[in-house]
Amino acid sequence: MAKRALCPGEARSAKPSQPSYDPGMARKRNPARLVVALSVAAVLAVFLLYTSIAGGGTPSVSPSELGAQKGVVSLAGRVQPGYKGDSYGDGLRFRLRDIKGGSTKTVTVVYTGSVSDQFRAGREVSVKGELRNGTFVAVKDSLVTKCPSKYTAKKST
Amino acid sequence: MSIALVLGALLAAACVVLVALPYLREPQAERDVLEEPSELDRRRLELAEARDRALAALKELELDHRTGKVSDEDYRALVGPLRREAAEALRALEPRAGASGRVKVERPG
Amino acid sequence: MPELGRAALVATLGLAVYAVVAGAYAAWKGRRRLALSAQNALVAAFGTSIVATVVLLAALVRHDFSFVYVAEHTSRELPTGYTISAFWGGQEGSLLLWLLILTGYSTAALLVNRRSARDLVAWVTPVLGGVTFFFAFLLVVVATPFAVQAAPPDGSGLNPSLQNPYMMAHPPLLYLGFVGLTVPFAFAIGALLARRTDERWIVATRRWTLVAWTALGVGQLLGSHWAYEEVGWGGYYAWDPVENAALMPWLAATAFLHSVMIQEKRGMLRVWNHLLVVMAFSLSLFGTFLTRSGIVSSIHSFTQSSIGPWFLAFICIVVFGSLALVFARLPLLRSKTRLESLVSREATFLYNNLLLVALTLTILWGVAYPILHEAVLGESRIVGPGYYNFFLRVFGLPLLLLMGIGPLVAWRRASLRSLGLTFAWPAGFALLVGLVLLALGAGSSIPGLIAYTFSAFVLASIALEFSRGTRARRALSGGSWPAAFSALIGRNRRRYGGYIVHAAIVLLAIGVAGSSAYDTVSERRLTPGDSLVVGDYRLTYRGLEEREAANATEIRAVLGVERGGDSLGTVQAGKNAYTAERQVSNEVGIRSDLITGEDLFVIAEQVNADGSVYVRAFVKPLVNLIWLAGLVFVLGALITLWPDAREQRRLALRYEGAEAPARP
Repeated sequence: MAKRALCPGEARSAKPSQPSYDPGMARKRNPARLVVALSVAAVLAVFLLYTSIAGGGTPSVSPSELGAQKGVVSLAGRVQPGYKGDSYGDGLRFRLRDIKGGSTKTVTVVYTGSVSDQFRAGREVSVKGELRNGTFVAVKDSLVTKCPSKYTAKKST
Repeated sequence: MSIALVLGALLAAACVVLVALPYLREPQAERDVLEEPSELDRRRLELAEARDRALAALKELELDHRTGKVSDEDYRALVGPLRREAAEALRALEPRAGASGRVKVERPG
Repeated sequence: MPELGRAALVATLGLAVYAVVAGAYAAWKGRRRLALSAQNALVAAFGTSIVATVVLLAALVRHDFSFVYVAEHTSRELPTGYTISAFWGGQEGSLLLWLLILTGYSTAALLVNRRSARDLVAWVTPVLGGVTFFFAFLLVVVATPFAVQAAPPDGSGLNPSLQNPYMMAHPPLLYLGFVGLTVPFAFAIGALLARRTDERWIVATRRWTLVAWTALGVGQLLGSHWAYEEVGWGGYYAWDPVENAALMPWLAATAFLHSVMIQEKRGMLRVWNHLLVVMAFSLSLFGTFLTRSGIVSSIHSFTQSSIGPWFLAFICIVVFGSLALVFARLPLLRSKTRLESLVSREATFLYNNLLLVALTLTILWGVAYPILHEAVLGESRIVGPGYYNFFLRVFGLPLLLLMGIGPLVAWRRASLRSLGLTFAWPAGFALLVGLVLLALGAGSSIPGLIAYTFSAFVLASIALEFSRGTRARRALSGGSWPAAFSALIGRNRRRYGGYIVHAAIVLLAIGVAGSSAYDTVSERRLTPGDSLVVGDYRLTYRGLEEREAANATEIRAVLGVERGGDSLGTVQAGKNAYTAERQVSNEVGIRSDLITGEDLFVIAEQVNADGSVYVRAFVKPLVNLIWLAGLVFVLGALITLWPDAREQRRLALRYEGAEAPARP
């Protein structure tokens, strides 16, 4: 095949012919877009289905806010001095107060299950359960103790 | 404290030297222009990538055929267009005198 | 000496500013020497970061408690190894580690690529400089590691849960991953800024992405292993927001690794790839923001610090800036090829991407929802493991299946008939395995059974690939089976390395399914002589032992282990009481059965004054496959990463031709 010398300013035709891109195909919609659209719809459907059945998370309340909710909530508070009982036996009874704010209201929690070694008066904890007859009855093994300010990693769940 | 001062000064000096290095090496540079690929270079690159893609696809098709993933009839259906694609890409990239064509080419005769 | 450290950080900040300003100007106006100078500035920034690092390290090793950081994170009795790892045990030090790795990676990326693709590198420099600027700024203005005080006699010591070999390696590896994602991001943005439409940026960053992704994966496994052994609640992943913070960028990077292959082979999905790399990088920034800012209640939280808003601002700049740039360059990024068939390897990669992104976004929503709910409605909520586990199954199980389908499907277009033939053996095998497992009682967990069946399918398809490939190689060039096998892998490193990585993920899936869906647990209070039965094991409590270690008092409950009447030795579980830190840590006892891969996991929940203990014991089947998967993962990644001389030459030829134009 004879080569033709290129004049300055002239460029050889650049596009290689692409057998997979024929004019007929160009008018058809890209199946990829359809797949993406269907998938997004499917994912949203699954998501909405799940959240409508299982709900959007468990409410997290502080002791002063407790009382208005029905059902299982997550109670977050600071452990007050003077707790007793055995969580591995008849139950640990301790009182929680708000972590932030000036409320002096305390809630008595009855808890069975694991207790982290970090648990002590003054520590922030959260526990799942329900308010029953004025006492917060906790779900077994749901107590999580946060360590103060340092990089920490203790949990007892 | 004084050691810290000396080390700090040395560090600062080293940084300045390093940053100024290109200017120290070439106080008078004839060509201080950052080369950007020209339109022709870009097309050539596109072609080169298309060529490599076609060749790699052929190689994979061979491998898939040999390992039995692609049946004989599928292979026959696919290999033709792929070979044509590769041939076109290679042809479009045919080497000519002066790699980029920016050089003024003398007309023959 | 702290002044030297501070000066080094200020110098880094100044160099980063120069790299951004001079680099951007040089790239815009096309000034070669200025561009080189900007790149050198980033190299110099690496040098100054090293100086700052050395200053802090020296202070740590010398127990120089006049440094606030050293006093807060070490003590005199702390073993040297942990004294050094305290470098990244706190906010400021870990930021410095991030800066060090960032400038190191930037230097390497620039130096390797500066001779070729000069115009691309010219734009990459200000992007890398911008990220460096952010971290240097934080270290100089917001969280300096070089604050000084009147030296106390001793430090507060390192958190006992960090005094563990895994915690020494976990943060650096994670950072190698997080920071590593900066390089492909910078090259992607640089390519857009330079208005390049070719794949140069992908070719340049392929190995970087792989290294970062591998490091991130291994770092997370180490974290899980630490959680399993050290935190000791019986699990290895709690869907804690900070754990998710590392998982999300890893998932996005996994999607990116796959979709980039499509761009390489078919020139498709260019816009998608740019978006994915922006997503992966932004998620890595978001991840470290979550960990550091204290915005989520998590057991990982660092000190409540003011660093959060800065990170948030930077993430917003990155996300919006990148999206604006992608949108502006949209016409350049249009690909010329189309997806030919919904039954093709490209299509399976697309499905894989969609599932991975869906999973990532679901996890992101789970993390963000409590924060948003509280910010908007004032009421705080908690998203529990139930949510995550549900979506992990919904998206993860199909992903598992796709790992087996993908390799069996041809590129461009696969006929259903040929698919049927290639699928026959693996599908049949999987069905058989499923039925056998069902008969053995695995039906107690349907997701578990599905996971096992899909895993069998994938393993069978991978084994088939290797055997067919070896046979074909041998038919081609003769030789023995082992020689053909290694030649096969040697000549197709990316493909077969990838298969090994898939095998690792399958092992992970089997381990996770076994240990979470089929585990047993038992608990009791024991006095000496009492027994506890869990699964096939009988544990008999013998008594307590107490001993003194370097910086702690260790108390252990000794339990004899029997199975089927045979004595299997003892297992010890208890607590450590750390003197300087005044904290107690939980030390679990684990007996691993190397044949079945199961663990007997014993927690001494409560040690009582009267010598009795409350013990909780688990039997976790197949859990050791998870850690084995880590090793296989690294092996596969190494094979994929291994330099291929032939490919390097071909790529060099391709880019040299277009970038070294003849000069008159």
